[in-house]
Amino acid sequence: MAQFLVEGRELVAEAARGLSALALRRDDAAAMEACFRALHTLKGSTGLFDLEAMGQLLHAAEDRLAALRDGQASTPGDIDALIEMVDQVDRWFDALERDGRLPADAGSIGQAAAHRIRDAGGAPVMAEEQPAQPSWRIPPDFDGLSGIAIRYVPRPDCYYFGDDPIAITAAIPQVTALRLSARVPWDSSEPYDPFTCNLVIEAVSAAGRAEVEAGFRLVADQVAFAELVPAAQAGSAGGGPARRTLRVDAARLDRLADLADDLVIAKGGLAELAAQAESLPGGHALGQALRLRQARLDRLAGDLHATVGRVRLVPLAPLFARFPRLVRDIARSLGKKAELVVEGGDVEVDKALVDALSDPLLHVLRNALDHGMEEASTRRRAGKAEAGSIRLAARVEGDQVVIEVADDGAGIDAATIRALAVKRGVLTQEDAARLDDVAAIDLIFAPGLSTAAAVTTLSGRGVGMDVVRSAAASLGGRVTVTSAAGRGTQVQFRLPVAMTLIQILVVACGEERYGLPLDAVVETARLAPGRVVPIRAGWAFQLRDQVLPLVGLGELVGTRRAALAESQRVVIAKVRGEPIAFAVDAFVDRLDIALRPMNGLLAHAPGMLGTTLLADGSVLMILDLAELVA
Amino acid sequence: MTVRLDGAVLRLEGSCHLEDAESLTALLQTSGVSLVDLSACQSLHGAVVQALLALGPRVEGIPASPFLRDLLLPALLVKRQAKPSNL
Repeated sequence: MAQFLVEGRELVAEAARGLSALALRRDDAAAMEACFRALHTLKGSTGLFDLEAMGQLLHAAEDRLAALRDGQASTPGDIDALIEMVDQVDRWFDALERDGRLPADAGSIGQAAAHRIRDAGGAPVMAEEQPAQPSWRIPPDFDGLSGIAIRYVPRPDCYYFGDDPIAITAAIPQVTALRLSARVPWDSSEPYDPFTCNLVIEAVSAAGRAEVEAGFRLVADQVAFAELVPAAQAGSAGGGPARRTLRVDAARLDRLADLADDLVIAKGGLAELAAQAESLPGGHALGQALRLRQARLDRLAGDLHATVGRVRLVPLAPLFARFPRLVRDIARSLGKKAELVVEGGDVEVDKALVDALSDPLLHVLRNALDHGMEEASTRRRAGKAEAGSIRLAARVEGDQVVIEVADDGAGIDAATIRALAVKRGVLTQEDAARLDDVAAIDLIFAPGLSTAAAVTTLSGRGVGMDVVRSAAASLGGRVTVTSAAGRGTQVQFRLPVAMTLIQILVVACGEERYGLPLDAVVETARLAPGRVVPIRAGWAFQLRDQVLPLVGLGELVGTRRAALAESQRVVIAKVRGEPIAFAVDAFVDRLDIALRPMNGLLAHAPGMLGTTLLADGSVLMILDLAELVA
Repeated sequence: MTVRLDGAVLRLEGSCHLEDAESLTALLQTSGVSLVDLSACQSLHGAVVQALLALGPRVEGIPASPFLRDLLLPALLVKRQAKPSNL
């Protein structure tokens, strides 16, 4: 059943994708086929799990789609009805996941939806046409091709009727393969009769079925057609041999990733060992050999780490696929009309990212619908299409993935945000007035600010955009917003594609060691005595033309309170754009480490970015300086 | 004349029609020529194609028509390879 839920969702998503493509272009044969295949496979699976209502609904949808495919006039409503049906199936999957069964009203909903689909087609669809099973064996030469397979066996006396089978075939559009053979084997004992047709013509056309059939209309009784399914797609539908993928339990994958991380760390110890061996009397050669081996192990471990990282990359498509329906549902509940355009579903990112992005993205989409999108009447007055449009797009930029949610709604009014921030006590009047519009709009990410004048049921759950920002930060990325009044809002996530090694500076405070992310560190310095001036509870010192605040790192993490040393070592780091100096006892090392997020009880420990395992097996805490000084 | 005997080569030229199938068959069966050149051929009637398939002469020359060049000629050549050598 768990497998069915996963695969069923994928099939629903595929059907929905096909339908959206069909809504744009009715004659998109590939989309039609994809959709058909998905529905058919899904219908087949429902039989295994006693999901009668779902099967009924899918059966009706398949009928309707078959009629559409076979060229029956389509009415504007039928694609909509099919989309609604697929949405319903998706909702049932929600229920199956949650309760393990379909809701009680599934039977009647199934029947009603089935009726709607039949009605949308005008005349009821009579005898259901099963997806054409070819009545002949499609030649193996045609494997991997897609389109319509044609088998044309001209009548033996066709030449007398003026038919030229080759000319007829040559006139078919977009023929991609041709195969000729004899209907009955040539018999060399009999005189060859050039005027009795003994040809079998097999061909593949990438054109639409209607076009191909039209080309053969005068010899229709001598031709058979079959839809070819490209092997790669057949695999996803029927588990054919072409597909070389494997579903693996995510926990095992995580374990593998952890082991690869540990290996990177364990091999770090070898370098030191090699150095020790070299310094032994007579140990030079041994040390050199060890160093060579270590270099090789280095490369292998690095490779393994990178490969495991790639294994964890999964496409965004399954995540994205759920949003169009959710957007339709939310829009409907708000009495608005909106459509979601999804792009970049093939972008691959770390699995953890996909899992963690679902809620933040949904929240941004909700906000766009709830606060960004105007009522239909307002939109009409503004000269916009009644239905709002939201674009969810992903692309890769270097080692980052950029995910954008852009709506064409009212945009964010900087003045309103300023006023609201003051009213909610987020800022003082003076601070608010000092902010430029970009910074003011950025306030939507500030805790305690809800931008809708009326808190609605949807967005007003006490979850603000501040949660979205901290989610992005915890994924090692950031989120920004831009907005043009009247033209819409764009929220942009920039996130790392894969878990990567981060560089840290290891510092000592007394006995304790801590890691500081190197990207925050601006420089390290030693302060001569007398340069430090006490200021209220803290210290400050002058560095070049700037006065920097100085805080004791040991004090911040709560281990001890120390006086400043004679020659005080400080780490100068940028914290929220401002340089701050942290007093430490020693600089120990610079390392590349695989960061492990804090989990369990420590998950919400403030000031901790995560941990890493050191070569000697000890655990090093990586500090989040911004949180520490907050 | 679209079927022309040129020394040891049978040349199919221009558009080859139904009636050419008969002369092609006769020439292949009686002249002892077993090489057919299609380079000047513009179209081939089904009966001519069938004669080439059935009698199995060697086929050479690249016709200009995309259908002949990209689809029909490869289909004829595949057929020849598939034929047992004693035919």
